[in-house]
Amino acid sequence: MLQSVTDLRPDLAHLAAAPPLAGSERVAVEIGGVGVAVEGVPPVLAAALRARYGPFLAEAPGAHTVRVFRGAPKYLDMAPDRFIRIEEERHGEAAVLLSHDFAALRAAAGNRLLVSDPDDIKRTERAVENYLRWVVADLVLERDGLVLHSAGLARGGAAYVFFGPSGAGKSTVTELTPEAAVLSDDLVLLQRREGRWEALTTPFLGTYPQLAKDTRRFPLVGIYRLRQAPEVAVRPLSLAVAVGMVLACCPFVRDPGRRSAALVPRVEELCRAVPVRELAFRRDASFWNAILDSSRSLLTGHN
Amino acid sequence: MSISTPLSKNPDVSWRSIEGQAVLVHNRRGEIQILNSVGTYAWENFERGTDTVAAEIAREYGIDVNQARADLDDFVRELCEAGALVEGHAQVAR
Repeated sequence: MLQSVTDLRPDLAHLAAAPPLAGSERVAVEIGGVGVAVEGVPPVLAAALRARYGPFLAEAPGAHTVRVFRGAPKYLDMAPDRFIRIEEERHGEAAVLLSHDFAALRAAAGNRLLVSDPDDIKRTERAVENYLRWVVADLVLERDGLVLHSAGLARGGAAYVFFGPSGAGKSTVTELTPEAAVLSDDLVLLQRREGRWEALTTPFLGTYPQLAKDTRRFPLVGIYRLRQAPEVAVRPLSLAVAVGMVLACCPFVRDPGRRSAALVPRVEELCRAVPVRELAFRRDASFWNAILDSSRSLLTGHN
Repeated sequence: MSISTPLSKNPDVSWRSIEGQAVLVHNRRGEIQILNSVGTYAWENFERGTDTVAAEIAREYGIDVNQARADLDDFVRELCEAGALVEGHAQVAR
């Protein structure tokens, strides 16, 4: 039986008229040089956000501020397959992000996050997190960076990034490398600084404990597209295939506002500067031998 | 949609040629397509007419022009089904 979908897709008037929450606290985070401050926060929510984003809290004024408001009881319906829906819309120069229990507006007149149930702290935390993921994905593009769905691991002072769709094995390679400094098992920020690409962590929750993430920057030496297989192998990728595969794992590629106009050239710059290869791996740590062997081959000119 | 219908690149698709391969980004669906060198040549040039492009591909690769035309027609249909090509003469900035 088909299920009808009755989404509430708010217009700008709805987004502008929402009542503020009963709170005046401010929580700011800093991610890769990008500062985002959440304002108009009630004390209980502020405490929860500070606990969630501890290592990333910032005192300095954020480059981007968003104020929290009370929204409608529901926005998007749950999909029949129960997957979370997060959809982006454009209203002229304004951008809107919608999900089941929040709606967010980014506009020159001010940024707003409308939450359906402010008394449900966990749901509201998730709404704030999704807003941060959305805005940081764009702000880092303006700062020579990009965010990639990936696991980031640092060994020997260098970062290795492993990417792929859900189920590719990002958390698995993290679990198989207990000696590494873990940047993230979900979202890693890649940023060019002084001509060198670096990898650093983000505060966005995957399965890896937030407080155990390493918050240092590491030089990025390799990017690996994961594929689970019986035999371990590292295979080079053509530049176009590498760019396409990395793009497919960037958050918010689906954007009627054509975020890709800025993202595609950035990904090409990354893939030209840092080797991108396919890594066929199995559920043991032997893939590290293949990675290190391929890196040595690169240095000696034998691929 | 017949191949004789005027077609143009979908304005909702961003694309970029990288070392002879086109990477297409379907902005509304968030899907990525990567074309091989022949597909990229067709993508970059099909507005000049499929007959012209098929003849050039046949010449370049030493294949029968009718086979090239048939393969090109199939490719154009795939691009239409994927939403990369739409009806109309609109010129789209790259």
